[in-house]
Formats: sequence, structure tokens, C-alpha cells
Amino acid sequence: MKYVMLVLKNLTRSKRRTLLTIFSIAVSLFIFSALVSLPTVASEVLSDTASSVRISTHNKAGLAYSMPEAYKQRIAAVPHVVAVTPESWFGGIYHEVTDQFPNLAVDPDTAETMWPDWGVSKESWKKFETLRTACLVGTATMKRFHLHVGQQIMLRGTIYPFNVTLQIVGVMQQSNAPPNFLIFRRDYLEEARGRPGVVDNFWVMVDRSENVPQAIKAIDEGFANSTAETRSESEAAFIGSFMDNFRTFFRLAEILGVIVVITIGLVAANTAAMSIRERRGEIAVMRSMGFPSRTILSLLLSESLVIGLLGGIIGCGAAFAVLKIFSIGSPALGPITDIQMPPEILAATLVVAALIGLLSAWIPARAAARMNIVDALRMVA
Amino acid sequence: MDEKYAVDIEHVVRIYKRDEFEVRALDDVTIRVPQARFVAIMGPSGSGKTTLLNLIAGIDHATSGKVSVGGEEITGMKERDLAAWRARHIGLVFQFYNLIPVLTAFENVELPLLLTPLTKTERREHVETALRIVGLADRMDHYPRQLSGGQEQRVAIARALVTDPTIVVADEPTGDLDAKSAEEILNLLTELNRQFRRTVVMVTHDPRAERFVDTVYRLDKGVLVGVEAGKIAPAHAAAATAQ
Repeated sequence: MKYVMLVLKNLTRSKRRTLLTIFSIAVSLFIFSALVSLPTVASEVLSDTASSVRISTHNKAGLAYSMPEAYKQRIAAVPHVVAVTPESWFGGIYHEVTDQFPNLAVDPDTAETMWPDWGVSKESWKKFETLRTACLVGTATMKRFHLHVGQQIMLRGTIYPFNVTLQIVGVMQQSNAPPNFLIFRRDYLEEARGRPGVVDNFWVMVDRSENVPQAIKAIDEGFANSTAETRSESEAAFIGSFMDNFRTFFRLAEILGVIVVITIGLVAANTAAMSIRERRGEIAVMRSMGFPSRTILSLLLSESLVIGLLGGIIGCGAAFAVLKIFSIGSPALGPITDIQMPPEILAATLVVAALIGLLSAWIPARAAARMNIVDALRMVA
Repeated sequence: MDEKYAVDIEHVVRIYKRDEFEVRALDDVTIRVPQARFVAIMGPSGSGKTTLLNLIAGIDHATSGKVSVGGEEITGMKERDLAAWRARHIGLVFQFYNLIPVLTAFENVELPLLLTPLTKTERREHVETALRIVGLADRMDHYPRQLSGGQEQRVAIARALVTDPTIVVADEPTGDLDAKSAEEILNLLTELNRQFRRTVVMVTHDPRAERFVDTVYRLDKGVLVGVEAGKIAPAHAAAATAQ
């Protein structure tokens, strides 16, 4: 504790340099923590769905190909299947082309059974079942367009040559509900489309997670050699395949984050080297008084550690606050619409900050602590 | 090893290697400084004065020969032990004061005490006493930049004596001062020696120093060429005789 004063005094030696170093570390760690948070969010989405009992059944040829809606009854007859909810993509926009968010139509009768974990109130589900133009909206989309329950909105069709007018009857509040989605009733969409009798995807719920593989096998075998063969996959695998599209992006984000940290580490090392070089005489004087090399080394590293940690706290705190306040939502990020910084990233960033502090000063501090006292004193004279 | 000698240097040789050249900074020097003496090492530039002082202070190693300070041979000590030894036995004063600019006079003097097990209150008492001895009790909170050269050197002397060292070692303590300040510093060192019976070994170019010291050791080209009694001033001589 008696050396704390010494460390703090030395930090104020060149206030501008100390502040600039702290802020450069803060900016780099802000970028690092924000970029590294992206893949973590994807992992969280996947882990949330890992134990899901939901299956996605879509056309084997791809998601862009539809299937007969009559498959619903056949899938419902498969052992262990509890509920089947057909789903059709609408892909409408709200006001402007840039106002995009995922919107799709589902059957209202089984929706509550299918997604009991989305935090939709009983009352809202009831309205969804009874009102033909009802829709449920995710929290991010509600916030983005300043919507409110009871509001009537119009989605302009981009795939279909018609618009749909919907009334918001509830919000999907839970964190595992897709925050930027809007779902409305498929019977409304079917009517507008002229009842072609096709769907894009079937959400299938089975009784227990261990029965998921068996149900997948049974469904796909049931439609083998048909005109629309199916491909079923667990919810985790389905979302995982979505995430695969972003894997390169995530990898790039991670690499960029590491590059930023290495760059600022080198800048901090240069600053530490300059600062320590300027004080070689003082360090020699302290050693001549009897300060052991290891104490000198600890003092110099402590200074650098404090700078690193302060930069880390500021950068990390800023990134946390920015991600919290302005939750990033973009169609380009698909299902990742609400990027938040997980606690483990916070902790990891602080560890990185400490490492930047320690490693940047290690070599010059070690050299200064071991320097020949007589040579160093001669430089002062 | 004789404990009556504060400094006992026997046949010391110090050779520096500078690239492919060898510089013989000290060549078979033998010096014995009795306890509680104020001595000066004098000689022209490059005569090996500072090298000899560095050996006494334990911040340099002899190439051969023996160096004993305060009855303890330090020639073969490892750096870690030597650092601890310096903290206990040596008080160093430099030509350019070498105070830490971000620390106040109080904090500069307190610095060597951080190596001791003293409590904060005890450290404060020691620092206040040391600064009072050098006449700077009213400048404790001043930073070095707020002090004159002479005052800075006084703070450096307070820092050197605050741990109550066996020997105070001063390297050109008046070299950067005007005549008046130099006189004051020499008086202060003399007082330390006479009043507190501290051994003071000083390297200097300053001919005035001869009036304050008991003995002058003259070096030239690394060789001890003479040992003379100092031309001690009457007042100092009387004090020395009384002791």
C-alpha cells in the first residue's frame, strides 16, 4: 500500500500522455469488445435453442421453395408430434424500403402451443386467434418504429402485389423471442394470395427433446419421393444454418478486434518505453537507495497496469452502454438484432486491458529495473 | 576486517570494457577511512574518483581487490543482498540532486524509508527530523521545481541521512551550486559529521572543500597519489579536537 502513492504520482507525471494512452486503449477496447460481442450473441441464440423441442420442416430444395399445406395433417400424424404450425414468408416493408424486418404469417390455432416461451400474454394470443388482421410484434421492431399495442399498420408487399393492413394485438416480450419479427395470421395472407394452398415452412413441436431425431426421420421419410420432398432439422440446427451465413463476418469481426488490440498494444509499448526511458536516471537513483530490481519492476508494471485497466474500464463501459442504449438492428444481421455485451466479454476485455498494460511495459520495465546503476547515473550527469 | 574503519579498500582494481578497449579506472588503490571522519576524494577528471565512490556505495563492483564498508565486506555480494545493504548503510548525495520531480520534498525524503518496516507515523517523524536538520522544515510540501539548487541539495542530503546510514557518500555535492550555496552544503555535511558522528565520503573538484574535511585522498589516472590532512577551518578543528 505504501507504494500506491508512488504509482499514482508517476501517473500524473505527464498527464496529457497518460490520458491519451488511457483513451487510445479505451477506444481500441471499445472496438474490440463490440466486435467480439457479435459471435457471442450468435452462440447465445444457438444455446437458447439447444434444448428446443421444435423442428423446422421445409422443402428439401431450399427455403425459397414451398410445400403443399396439406402436409400439415400428415406431419401431425407422425408419432411424438404435438403441434404443427405452417408458416409463410411475406417480406413486406413498413413505409420505406429501408424499413425492413422479418414478417411472416402463421396459423393462429397452434401458435400459442408452438411458442409458449415468447412472452406473449394470454389475452394477446386470444386476440390473435380471433382477429383476422391481428399481428404480434417483437420488442426491437416495436421500439424501432415507435409502435404501440392497438395500433394499425400497413405492410407493403415486396414479393406479393398487395399490402396487408394489420392491428398490433401484442408484443413478443421474452428474450428468446425474435425481437425484430412480426407475425400475422396465415389465413389473411392466403386469402390475399388467392388461396394457393402452399406454405414455406412447417414448425413442428414434439413431446420431448430426445424424440426430435426420431420425428425428423419419420417426417422426411414420409415425404420421400414426393413432388416436394422435405428436409427437417431441429430449431438449433435451423438457426445454426442461418448463422453459418454470418460465420465469415463473425470471424472477420474477431480478427479485426484482435488486430486493433495488437496495434494499440504496440502503441502502448512505445509510450511505455518512452516514459521509462525518460526516467532511467530516477530509476537508477532509487536502485542506488536500495530499491530491489523486482520492486522497481513491480512499480513500473503497476503504473502500466493501472493505465491499461482504466482504458479497459472506460472502453468496455462505453461499449456496454452503447450496445445497451442503441441496440443494433439491421436486416443484414438477420436473426441477430439485439447485440448486447455478455458479462464474459466484459471480463475478457478487462483481462485484455490488463494484459495490454502489463505486456506493453514488460520489456522496457525489465530492462530499466536491471540496468547498470553506474551507466544510468552517468546518463543523468 | 577491521570495524574501526568505516571504509577499508584493499588493492582495488576496476577495469571497464568499452568496446574493444579496456579502461583501468582504478589501479591497486588502498584506502582506509576511520569511523566518523569527513574525507574528500579529489583529483582531475578521469582520475577514478567517482569510480571509487561507486565502489564504496556498493553500486559498482571491483574487478579485483576487497571493499569493506562499515566492517562488512561487500566485494562478493549478490545484487539483491547489495541492494538491501545499501538501503541500510549508504546515504547517497549526487551532484544534480536527482530528486524525483513529481514528489514533494517530504515525499522525496520519505522514499528510502519505504524500504524499511517503519509505520507511516514513524516515517513522518523521521522525515520531519531530517528536513529540520537541513533547515527545510518549512518547505516540506514544495516540489523540487519550487526550490533553489541549494535547497534541492539540502533535500537530497535529508534523503541521504533519513535512514540513519553508516556512511554518507556525496558525489560532487557542490558541483552545480553557486559559491554561497556550496559553502552552506559543505557546512551542512560538516555538521552531519561532527554533530551526528556520521562518516562522510565526498568526491569533489571544489578546492574549498579542503577547509572542511579531515583528510584528502588524491587520485590521478586511477592511482592513489597522496593522502593529506584537510586544511580544516579553526572552528571545525576545535570541534574535531573536542571529539
